[in-house]
Amino acid sequence: MEAAEFIQYVIAGLKSGSIYALVALGFSVVYASTGIINFAQGEFFMLGGVLSVWFYSLGLPLPVAGIAAVVATAGLGIVFERFALRRQRSANPLVLVIITIGGSMVMKSLARHLFGPDELSLPEFTPGPSIDIVGAAVERQALWVWGLTVVAVLALWWLYRKTRLGHAMRACSISHDAARLMGVDTARVVMISFGIAAALGALGGFAVTPLTQTSWDAGAVIGVKGFAAAILGGLGNPLAAVIGGLVLGLLESLSVAFISSAYKDAISLLVLLIVLFVRPQGLFGSKRREKV
Amino acid sequence: MTRLKSGVMSYVAITIAAVLVAAVPLLSADRYILKVLVYVGVNVIVIAGLALLFGHAGQISMGHAAFVGIGAYTSAYCVGQVHLPWLVGVAVGTALAAAGGFVLAMPALRLRGHYLAMATLGFSEIMYVVFREARGITGGSDGLGGIAYPEVAGFSFDTPVAVYLLVWGVALLTVLLVMNILRSRPGRAMRALHATENGALACGIDTAGLKIRTFALSAGLAGLAGALYAHSVGFISPGTFGLDQSVIYVATVVVGGAGSLAGPVLAAVALTLLPYADALIPGLSRETVAVLQNWETDIYGIAMIAVVVLAPAGIGGLLKRLRSGRAGEAHV
Repeated sequence: MEAAEFIQYVIAGLKSGSIYALVALGFSVVYASTGIINFAQGEFFMLGGVLSVWFYSLGLPLPVAGIAAVVATAGLGIVFERFALRRQRSANPLVLVIITIGGSMVMKSLARHLFGPDELSLPEFTPGPSIDIVGAAVERQALWVWGLTVVAVLALWWLYRKTRLGHAMRACSISHDAARLMGVDTARVVMISFGIAAALGALGGFAVTPLTQTSWDAGAVIGVKGFAAAILGGLGNPLAAVIGGLVLGLLESLSVAFISSAYKDAISLLVLLIVLFVRPQGLFGSKRREKV
Repeated sequence: MTRLKSGVMSYVAITIAAVLVAAVPLLSADRYILKVLVYVGVNVIVIAGLALLFGHAGQISMGHAAFVGIGAYTSAYCVGQVHLPWLVGVAVGTALAAAGGFVLAMPALRLRGHYLAMATLGFSEIMYVVFREARGITGGSDGLGGIAYPEVAGFSFDTPVAVYLLVWGVALLTVLLVMNILRSRPGRAMRALHATENGALACGIDTAGLKIRTFALSAGLAGLAGALYAHSVGFISPGTFGLDQSVIYVATVVVGGAGSLAGPVLAAVALTLLPYADALIPGLSRETVAVLQNWETDIYGIAMIAVVVLAPAGIGGLLKRLRSGRAGEAHV
């Protein structure tokens, strides 16, 4: 394989990898402040795509349509937490899993009713020919995907480290009871975490739609892969989620290069199973013992 | 005393179900109705197995459709290409699904709750890719057609009535099997495991072994259902065994009620019939059926959330309340 061809595969891997990273961040944010795995996370990605297509078709300019889609999805994430999950917070984790699965079924199906069964697309943010990087062609849209991912990661870092809300979120990830005793409104923190997670997923959906198109059923696969990325890095740690996403994207792309494109999806899921079985705390996580 | 009574009642219920099943072909030999009822019977087998694993032992599987697929493709391959007798094909399909369950369960059941859900979901997606891509065996995304009817010792189940009776015979036997397991020592161990794993362990229950055996049995039953499905319908394709179907199975057990067997079985019957409501209600307009089919997933999803939030015991809990209510009257 020539160098240029290899770089092409690496770029493709980093492209899908940063989408996985955004979805993985969503899993991570919710898990950190609630201990829940949100099975509807992939649907937030899907909604970001289809809603931005819908807003754009209403005549809104592209950036406005994207922002509107992200805000609307975040709102939906908040509503979902407030009305479906909050009352069951103290229940068995399996109950919460079931509620998020039910939520994802409904969101997916409603998206099909509202936006139709077909593939939907958006124009590129800045149309133009691909850019040449050491012999490999990079679509302009890929730069947008990377740029938006970096912005999202920095914004999240700033939120966690520099703001009062971020401190409250980190306190919740250590102990809800202790955080509440210190005067943190934990219910609000959980609700906002869902909003942020939904926004991150939606941003990914919006950014990648011009490249890959989207449709009502795009959420499930990206949800599983985003989870694989989050678990690969170690759940609950945002930076690890990003690295996990990029590593997964690269693995997938190189497996297309060296093994087979038919089994591409199976390979990233095999990674998920291996990590879950061998090192469930992830590459960067430390082992947690369960107490009786 | 009450246990004895409820035991007798379960056998009475099974007998009534058997009589009803046997009566259907006498009332109607309509091809469409019988075909829909075959779907129902197949789902009853899967759900009885999943109710054992999820509802009683408390271990979620988001990959049961994959086990159904393993059974279906294996049996179709054994009979169609290797030319093994039908019974052998079904046995191999069931065994392979159970073996798959065993292999997946060994590492996966160390995981709890949502991790286990994700691991089985990942397995389901991997198998979906395999069903789609292993064209030599599965026929790829176009599917596999012309699968032979079930045949035992020269007798071919090639009429709709025969296929229907075969599937429902196996379904009732499966329910009976699961019922007896629940009534015996492993069943009690499962309930203990569900209530508190550490407590069960402290009582001397080999929880790891129990989980693995239950998972393998449940996967095997799903494989059996798949094999029956393949030979009675004659055509299979990867879409039938995807993630969506796995989710629907879980939804069915939830709506039926964890910790119950009658509830999930009734839910399997009701939810499977929903998109084919026209088979039961003759006057139903085509539009109504189309709406039902279109909104199928929404109905399942909303029903699942509603049950978990409003009535966690599901249909099973409702049945129990009816029964205890009647017992109360008798005492007065």
